[in-house]
Amino acid sequence: MSREYRQWVVEYQDQAWTLARYILKDASEAEDATQEAFVKLWNNRNAIDRDRIKPWLMRVTRNHCLDRLRRRRPEQEFVEYQGVDNDGPLRGAEQSELGAFLKSAIAALKEPYRTLVVLRDVQQHSYEEVAGVTELSLSQVKVYLHRARKQLREQLAEVRP
Amino acid sequence: MTDNNSPKNEHDRNHREEQINALLEGELDHDESEALKSAANRDQELASAIVEAYQLQRAMENVQLEKAPQSLRRRLKKIPQQDRPVFFQPRWAMAFAVVPLVIVSVLVLRSMEPSDIQVPTSSTGFSSAEMVMIEQARADLAVAFAYIDQVGVSTSLLIEAEIGGEMSDAVAGSIFRTIQGKKLL
Repeated sequence: MSREYRQWVVEYQDQAWTLARYILKDASEAEDATQEAFVKLWNNRNAIDRDRIKPWLMRVTRNHCLDRLRRRRPEQEFVEYQGVDNDGPLRGAEQSELGAFLKSAIAALKEPYRTLVVLRDVQQHSYEEVAGVTELSLSQVKVYLHRARKQLREQLAEVRP
Repeated sequence: MTDNNSPKNEHDRNHREEQINALLEGELDHDESEALKSAANRDQELASAIVEAYQLQRAMENVQLEKAPQSLRRRLKKIPQQDRPVFFQPRWAMAFAVVPLVIVSVLVLRSMEPSDIQVPTSSTGFSSAEMVMIEQARADLAVAFAYIDQVGVSTSLLIEAEIGGEMSDAVAGSIFRTIQGKKLL
């Protein structure tokens, strides 16, 4: 079982971390949220369908992140862009200025648009998996996703010559 | 763009966005795809939207999955260990394995203090049977120290994984210094 868990860690830690990092925009909090999700995975390992580990883990990671956002700013919706700090995955060894720009633009999206773009366009999950993680219907996922993409397109068009 | 082709309302705009995304996702069949392209030939705004959507899709390739930091990787690896009863955790098992080895080695070292060792009365000193026993004891000691050395290395790796390199060096180093102090290495 421990070996199976280690396999899950290897396979999914980067995806869970990336999602947490985009939602929380804070490396330390993202680490904590990701760890909480994996602790929950370990504690529930016997109850989870093996074919559903990834969407289960991503859903739990997202929920932990949203809980943290609510605790952080209880009077506000967790939709305001607080700016991207200058460490962790949202900065750094960017492969291009375009990549850096898009990361900031994705981080500035409102929920659930941000999660949808990260899951579908960055992590390449299927629509069905995205729907499972976000607990939205398939049609809602598609509608929200093209709204999110439209916003990104408009921002991209502004910076392109 | 003409008035005939412009989206009349929010519903039309959403439908157009759906079609653009479906085109990019490869979800439109041939006829639908051709109809959209034909519409784009007549509608400059639609054509721009499709081009921008393609550009965004290509640009998203620059946004890659991030590697989880080492600190998080270590934390995730430790989760199953934290779930075990404390005395079954590997570092404790290793520590308990080291204790009897250290005690045995100290006893063996004491037994070899000059006062306790038989002082030879001649140049050879020992009988051939005694020499065989001494050689055997030396060989046993070499094996014991090799084992202690291995345990020390494993322990230091565990400690390093748990609490970092400095403490690892302190513990492994103290074992090494003890053995060195006895001039057995």
